Amino acid sequence: MSAAAVVPAGPPKLAATGIRKRFGHVSVLEDVSLTLRPGSFHALLGENGAGKSTLVKCIMGYYLADAGRILVDDAEVRIASPRDAQALGIGMVYQHFTLVPNMSVAENLVMARARLPAVIDWRKEQGRLRDFMAHMPFQIDPARAVRSLAAGERQKLEILKQLYLGNRIVILDEPTSVLTPSEADEVLGMLRGMARDGRVSVLMISHKFREVMAFADEVTILRRGRVAGTASVADVTVASMAAMMVGGEPPSASASRSGGEPGPARLALEAVEALDARGVGALRGVTLEARAGEIVGIAGVSGNGQDELLEVLAGQREIVSGAIDVDGAPYGGTRAEARARGLRCLPEEPLRNACVATMTVSDNIGFRTYDQPPNTALGFVVKRGELRRRAAECVSAYRIKTASVDAPMASLSGGNVQRSVLARELQGTPRILVVANPCFGLDFAAVAEIRTRLLEARNAGVAVLLISADLDEIFALSDRILVISGGKIVHETPVADADVAVIGRFMAGHGHG
Amino acid sequence: MSRDAVETIVIRLGALALSLFLFGAFVAAAGASPLDVFYQMYRGSFGSAFSFQNTLLRAAPLMLTALCTAIPARLGLVIIGGEGALVVGGLAAAVTGLAAHGAPPLLATTAMAAVGFLVGGAWTGLAGALRAYRGVNETISSLLLNYVAIALLNHFVEGPLRDPASLNKPSTRPIAPEEMLSHIPGLDVHYGLVFGLVACAVAHVLMVRSVFGFGSSIVGGNLRAGQLCGLPVRRMIVIAAVLGGGAAGLAGMAEVAAVHGCANASLIAGYGYTGILVSFMARHEPLAIVPVALLFGGIDASNGLLQRVDNLPDATVGVLQGILFVVILASETLYGRFDWLPRGQPAVRAALDAGVETVKPAATEVSS
Amino acid sequence: MTPAASTSLGAWGVALALGAGAIRISTPFLFVSLGECITEKGGRVNLGLEGTLVMGAMSAYGVSYLSGSAWLGALVAGLIGAALGLLHGWLCSLRRVNDVAIGIALILFGTGLAFFLGKPFIKPSAPLLPAIDFGFWSSSREVRSALQINALFLIGVALAPAVAFFFDRTRWGLVLRTVGESADAARAMGYRVDFVRSIATMCGGFLAGVGGSFLSLFYPGSWNERLSSGQGLMAVALVIFARWSPLRCLVASLLFGAASALGPALQSVGVMWGYHLFNAAPYALTLAIMIGTSSATRALDGQPAELSAAR
Repeated sequence: MSAAAVVPAGPPKLAATGIRKRFGHVSVLEDVSLTLRPGSFHALLGENGAGKSTLVKCIMGYYLADAGRILVDDAEVRIASPRDAQALGIGMVYQHFTLVPNMSVAENLVMARARLPAVIDWRKEQGRLRDFMAHMPFQIDPARAVRSLAAGERQKLEILKQLYLGNRIVILDEPTSVLTPSEADEVLGMLRGMARDGRVSVLMISHKFREVMAFADEVTILRRGRVAGTASVADVTVASMAAMMVGGEPPSASASRSGGEPGPARLALEAVEALDARGVGALRGVTLEARAGEIVGIAGVSGNGQDELLEVLAGQREIVSGAIDVDGAPYGGTRAEARARGLRCLPEEPLRNACVATMTVSDNIGFRTYDQPPNTALGFVVKRGELRRRAAECVSAYRIKTASVDAPMASLSGGNVQRSVLARELQGTPRILVVANPCFGLDFAAVAEIRTRLLEARNAGVAVLLISADLDEIFALSDRILVISGGKIVHETPVADADVAVIGRFMAGHGHG
Repeated sequence: MSRDAVETIVIRLGALALSLFLFGAFVAAAGASPLDVFYQMYRGSFGSAFSFQNTLLRAAPLMLTALCTAIPARLGLVIIGGEGALVVGGLAAAVTGLAAHGAPPLLATTAMAAVGFLVGGAWTGLAGALRAYRGVNETISSLLLNYVAIALLNHFVEGPLRDPASLNKPSTRPIAPEEMLSHIPGLDVHYGLVFGLVACAVAHVLMVRSVFGFGSSIVGGNLRAGQLCGLPVRRMIVIAAVLGGGAAGLAGMAEVAAVHGCANASLIAGYGYTGILVSFMARHEPLAIVPVALLFGGIDASNGLLQRVDNLPDATVGVLQGILFVVILASETLYGRFDWLPRGQPAVRAALDAGVETVKPAATEVSS
Repeated sequence: MTPAASTSLGAWGVALALGAGAIRISTPFLFVSLGECITEKGGRVNLGLEGTLVMGAMSAYGVSYLSGSAWLGALVAGLIGAALGLLHGWLCSLRRVNDVAIGIALILFGTGLAFFLGKPFIKPSAPLLPAIDFGFWSSSREVRSALQINALFLIGVALAPAVAFFFDRTRWGLVLRTVGESADAARAMGYRVDFVRSIATMCGGFLAGVGGSFLSLFYPGSWNERLSSGQGLMAVALVIFARWSPLRCLVASLLFGAASALGPALQSVGVMWGYHLFNAAPYALTLAIMIGTSSATRALDGQPAELSAAR
């Protein structure tokens, strides 16, 4: 029983040397080496696409490296699957949870074990789990359904699961992306404490300099599949790490803010309530407004109603009560209304939420206009040639990289899907733009470009509602910040007066405590 | 011809060949000579003017019942209620024909067609509406409605509407001869075939070329994208279901008004079920339905000859259809694997496959 | 049961006939729904169980006739069902192949094959499954006939809690549920998702095949081409109604059995009007239940998260 084997000797040393990985002709990793000393907290930094995930997947056995060796306590090992990795005491916590929401904590933990008895004695297992939890820095009731856990608790449970499985080396892929700043500090602080105690070694993928500086002992920085530097955190600064990450060309949004005071209210929500996919209240009386020529940032921890807020405005979810007004008149979300009032949406994961992956790029760009002259003939036949011509204009104006406008949308990279949808939504005369996590998963260049486009839209008088889980992004773009928590707007402040600590408290739902 | 079209035809023909091979092995195991069976199938379907007309007669309702699955399929629905829509459409058409007795024949026939279309449309429209407004699985509900339709037909032809003169096979009273659909000049085939061909052409324009079809592709490809564009998703689902069922209802009208002359259990001939197969084989493309319906009409037409000459049971065609259906669906997996085809773009294809697998619309919700 | 004898019992006769129907007709529903429940817990839908049911009925009858052993017939029916289930499972493991469509294809394939192979068995009479006489204490002929209970029914009743135990308390049950709730999580734990689902579909097919044997080997107790009319499909709908709980599948099966007995029961007391309409009662009931239990805006409680088609 692995749970009993929690505190023997310290974790082993893990080393990867000369790792190379190519997908087809694309080289993702070239001669990458990394050493994780026992009991250390090691950060792996890099832009999106730098090869961080690929490296840890090679270590975990998801991919077989084309060249290079993996050593545990200086002995070469062969890791062909995550099971092999686990047998060596190496476990991983993923960016997206791998817990099963509809099962209990106990079921999730027991299921994760490599060996299970044929028939499970739940009473005995629950007892053992309680004993195990008693030795841990935090406790979760094994009988609770994972569905009922908050994001922070789930992330802790993920880490706990690794310890329960007896893993001494824990690899984490951006573990704090779904947590509030204080939750993140708590989880990382706990991990560091356990590393200091010599219980585990930690390898954490991150892109947040603050967390690396505050919690890690060592840092390895990847750039374009190669090691750009390895250092003790004590010896580096944020600036030097940033320089290593981007290779000395720090990006910035090229458009600056212009214009004076924002104009009249374009979009107004009044006490809007909506249910989530399980029928539970997700928006509990949201009241807000966005004025012409301003960016309103909605900050919050994922899962506090942001998805539902966007869906309500995108026509993907019905409201239970309340009112949505555009330019002071009720807004029903039909196609005609969306066109007349100029309300446009850029949801997160646009390939999943705003595109048809199997339709062509030109069709996807034409979703807003295919039924309007000059794209129609006789009033009802769609002129594909006209759509193609317009799409070609967008492709060059937004520098969308695609084989052709006839390529399926799914063949585009994430950044290019984002550009295509942005091009579509900004066609014509947008008056209101609702965007959610527009830069999630994009590299620096794409991030800078998308942010520039948003600022340009703002400067042109569009009312922009920016829903983002990334506080840095909120601070960089917003004129005004609102905080959403538990399906309500709990805090509002102009960006000039905003304080991260205060906003973090409101995000965590402790604004007044 | 585009690469996709070439690919589709190559894969479909390969699936057809494999199915015939498996079917040949099957009849060989059952003691018949596969070559002779194939020869009889050819003879019974396309071998002579007579058999070809028989094939056309059977292809006509198949074109219409295939549309019952194909039109809603473009919105992502799997409606398999063609059999029920055909039956209630036929029954309603017969009732209309009887009620319109004495009216000008052209008017009566037109009324029969219109009522058949509307009642058939209402039948699957119900499955579509339940899907759109209540989230009821349209596949199961439409199939259940088939059984309800058959029970209704039996109830009426054996009860309230029974012609006392119909002894062995309970039927409604026959409609007046002048109200019947006539034959296409020069052919021994009724105008139901024209209905089928015209319906497929109209469906092509509507579902592939028109604004409604473009919107349907968005909704069928990704419901959430359709909602984002402000499309009236629920209404579109109901419209497509009604149009599909209407086509099948029209098939029922043609069977009544051109073949049987009355409504009875002969309407339950399995055209609805074969139509599902036709639609899937045609990949729900209205124009492709025409040749595929001819193929299946031919298979159906050869059934009698197989029974007489090769002494095979009447279920033989059912076995072939079953094999074909399974093999054709399984062959879907081959798309994108033939890189030797012209203009192959393996990377694009792989990305597309990955996209198709990850992009599952969150289908529990439909909001207009 | 002669109409006259039942008429004397009146409304009581109808109730008795419904109760007897619940026991007698429910067995195929029970087996198919438990089988589908196992399949769906793994995250796939097998609509083809209608075809499996018919194949099971035919093969059970044929084997019973040829071998003289009805039980061997039931076993072979199960094995054939398992083979069809495995075929479904394997096909759905292929990229781009849709489980709902394959299910429809297997309905056609199973019934076509059964009708073809079953031709020689329509006339001869095969040994049937024995019934256990639980009505010996009663002097009423109706009661005694109603309590002629088949062992398969009892096996099915015992199976429901056994399947529930399997889901909650066993390793394989837990693996199956994990696969049905989150394929990604299961993959991360190193389980072969498609393999687990294929095995689950195979087990579901086995049970559906055995359920089919009941049709031909007990009630109605002969083989013909109109033996099953949608029972397999209704059982699939019934799983949704039962919220993927084996014990609720048992209750729902009894309810459906009673609904299916409505037409014959009314006919037996002399109500001749609307015989066909009352025969449609189980379909209408299924539809009504689906309407009542579905929701346009949210997922159902207990629904395996990976299940795309039971929406």
